Amino acid sequence: MSTRPPHGAEERDLLAAELAMGLLDGEERAEAEALAARDHDFRAAVAGWSGRLAPLLDEVVPAAPPASLWARIEARIAPPPSNVVQLRRKVNLWRGYSLAATAIAASLALVVVTRPAAEPRSAPPQTLVAMMQSDAGPARLVATYDPATRRLIVAAAAGMAPAAGHAHELWLIPAAGGKPHPMGIVSAVAPNKMDVPMPMASDVREGATFAISVEPPAGSPTGAPTGPVIARGKLTRA
Amino acid sequence: MLILAPRHVPLPYGLRAAFPSPSPRCMLRTMDAPRGSEEGRALGATLAAVAAGDRAAMRLLYERTSAKLYGICLRLLGSEAEAEEVLQETYVTVWRKAAAFDAGRASAITWLAVLARNKAIDRLRTRRAPADDLDAALDIADDAPLAPELIDRQRDGRRLAHCLGELEEKSAAAIRAAFLDGLSYPDLAAREGVPLPTMKSWIRRGLIRLRGCLEQ
Repeated sequence: MSTRPPHGAEERDLLAAELAMGLLDGEERAEAEALAARDHDFRAAVAGWSGRLAPLLDEVVPAAPPASLWARIEARIAPPPSNVVQLRRKVNLWRGYSLAATAIAASLALVVVTRPAAEPRSAPPQTLVAMMQSDAGPARLVATYDPATRRLIVAAAAGMAPAAGHAHELWLIPAAGGKPHPMGIVSAVAPNKMDVPMPMASDVREGATFAISVEPPAGSPTGAPTGPVIARGKLTRA
Repeated sequence: MLILAPRHVPLPYGLRAAFPSPSPRCMLRTMDAPRGSEEGRALGATLAAVAAGDRAAMRLLYERTSAKLYGICLRLLGSEAEAEEVLQETYVTVWRKAAAFDAGRASAITWLAVLARNKAIDRLRTRRAPADDLDAALDIADDAPLAPELIDRQRDGRRLAHCLGELEEKSAAAIRAAFLDGLSYPDLAAREGVPLPTMKSWIRRGLIRLRGCLEQ
């Protein structure tokens, strides 16, 4: 989108104030944001105005958020490694899992290529990977997702012995938060291949989270996780 | 609904005990921090520890600041559900981007409050927009330093109140409504029953005078 850039220092500073205050809407806002994205001085002017007016926020009456909110935030921030050695060990572990996942993906790709009705190939697909794990238990899974084909592969790497009378269900938590979407039962012994349906595919993106919960054999009866979450991980670019 | 968290989450005990032994980076930040209130300095150090990946510090930061930030989200969005979502987004961003906070440029609470406000405004202006756009917009706002003169918050608050008082009443009221209630130009024009260009000129005239007054 190209429009005339605002002329003159005064005009630019006022535009910065308008963006900082949130006065702009629609295209005007998009244009001002684009300018901020490419122009460091303009960006600084926007921040300057935010800062000038920030003391007004002291007038806002504080309100206690619901007690459950912290748990939701905590669930979304990755657990930090307790020390460097452990981190290195973890990285090595994941490197192994990642290689395994790549090998699985490659073997599947081979199958797809040799099949006559293979999906048409589009622009270079940004494969996404989620390493699912938990502080509490040994379960570790790797999910790889190819947005071009909407093919999701979930493989258990460790600690996922199938328990009698229980199933492991996969959930997708969109990057913007909100309710987990059920994605299906996953097997602990074989890689799981799923085709993500179109309406859900837009939520399988960088920053979204996959989680595995323990559910009755047929899956959660409520459409929301009912059992403990044994592993979770965020989708990142492979 | 079950909360998607590992079962054995760290408990809040020991949080404060964990704090008096800041990481070296945290010490550095504290020493570099400008003069400010004791509380403000502690918050800056907390934020620095968060930048270093300290989850206990993150919890402490949340405990100390979430009521203020939630109040801001609630006022701007007018919906508890949306305010909760935006607050969640805000703290996830804080966790990711705490390193962008520069104690030499702004107070920690100002940085956090502006971040929460920006997230809420983004939500207001782009309700249900693709997350990519939101993130791009936030990346712009998050890493830019605030004005360096905003270190002493009390003094700044008094000066701003004084300078807003110098403006025409309708300009000051519109600026306050935009900042505190998240009203856009069209919202404000409709509310005051004036044409859009009239509202624009009220606000722009006010902003020019305000800037001049604050720079004195």
